[in-house]
Amino acid sequence: MEFNIYGDNSGAVLRLDPRIKLLIFLSGSVVALNCYRLTPQLVYGAFLCAVLALCGKKIDGLKIFCIWTFFAFLRICITLSGKGHPLLIGLVRGLSTLVMFSLPILISLMLLIQTTRINHLLAALQSMKMPSFVMIPLAVLLRFIPTVQDEWNGIQKAMAFRNISLDADAILRAPTKTVEYILIPLLFSCIAVIEEMTAAALARGLDSEKRRTSSAVVRMTSPDYIVLAGLIAVVSFALYFGKTGAIL
Amino acid sequence: MNSDVQNGADRGKMRTKDLIFAGAFGAIYLVLMLAIVMGSGVVPILYLLSPLTVGIVCATVYMLCVMRVRKFGAALIVGVLFALIAATSYLPSFCLAIVAALAAEIVLKVGKYQSRKAYLLSYVFFNINMAAPFLMLVFDRDRFLSIAESFSGAEHAQVLGALAPNNYFWFVSLGLAVLGALIGGFLSTKLIRKHFEKAGIV
Repeated sequence: MEFNIYGDNSGAVLRLDPRIKLLIFLSGSVVALNCYRLTPQLVYGAFLCAVLALCGKKIDGLKIFCIWTFFAFLRICITLSGKGHPLLIGLVRGLSTLVMFSLPILISLMLLIQTTRINHLLAALQSMKMPSFVMIPLAVLLRFIPTVQDEWNGIQKAMAFRNISLDADAILRAPTKTVEYILIPLLFSCIAVIEEMTAAALARGLDSEKRRTSSAVVRMTSPDYIVLAGLIAVVSFALYFGKTGAIL
Repeated sequence: MNSDVQNGADRGKMRTKDLIFAGAFGAIYLVLMLAIVMGSGVVPILYLLSPLTVGIVCATVYMLCVMRVRKFGAALIVGVLFALIAATSYLPSFCLAIVAALAAEIVLKVGKYQSRKAYLLSYVFFNINMAAPFLMLVFDRDRFLSIAESFSGAEHAQVLGALAPNNYFWFVSLGLAVLGALIGGFLSTKLIRKHFEKAGIV
């Protein structure tokens, strides 16, 4: 899953308030760990994918929904048939679990990072009257996850030049060396990016004592309230019906 | 205004650039932690060992962050960001993660942000948050196993159950977290001395 540094909401039908997206993000981890049955999970997934598609990532939303449905179907087939080699079943189960467990968090991260511009997020957090020691780390965290991914990819390419890779073989043979060769360059390049980002942010007056003005208008509108109502309904459905009972 | 020329009253407070630094290091810590846990999550024993592995690998990230900022709040911010992403599902875990980060911060404060021993000790406290998600094993072992069962199948849960035979198994994962922190802490002091002090970053 690739994240871009700048959010892009140009193709969006819905321009949601970043606060709603934050709420969707928080609900993602709650549902992922508290809902184990397939139907509520799938309903929740369909809702997330629909919101993602409406926010401008139409193809991604459709793609992820197909992946999700495929794994749910696979899960049902395995559970109902009861045949097959135990090892194979275990492997497929493990894989589908990993995918279905991480999808809600991934989708909501995509929604938050890919379709939101950081200035909108900052304006929204500011209008929530968040103090700067909450606002800045949170915004930087979300802005920085794509950067870490970028640097990670770059370092892997660079290290392939010297035949250093992060596969199981290398980790077993020389664990500390492999970790050192990947981790230290990663930290160095991240620190360089942080320095530049800090300079850019300070030059634009992020540490000013005065209240910042923003060209981004952030306000809750009727689509926001509709999505909020939908979210509450879907999450409470998933939490209420997702706890006990058969896997379906 | 540079932090070197600040007056005494302002010295201990986090400034914007420290907040940016802490937030960015929170991102690095989380990406590494998720990569390790997701990568090893399929195998039950590696999953239970994750406090150890994450403790060893992420030590350098934590140390670099607190040694660079040297003010009250850096460890706490990384800890809260961790708790928000990794431990929101179970309230005692969330509280434990926050308390661990706070304890780490207090140890740093007692060491006046100078002593190497205090840095090491604070990482031991900080890494306890890796054991926090397993806290459900103490209070709610059956629920933990039934979650594992519905997620990964009965065999996986049986193996987990056999590896974690009773409620007190959590103390093993606490021990693993402390051990991981000690190993990681020593390694990271070596790495930081070897690479980052020469480059003038800390």
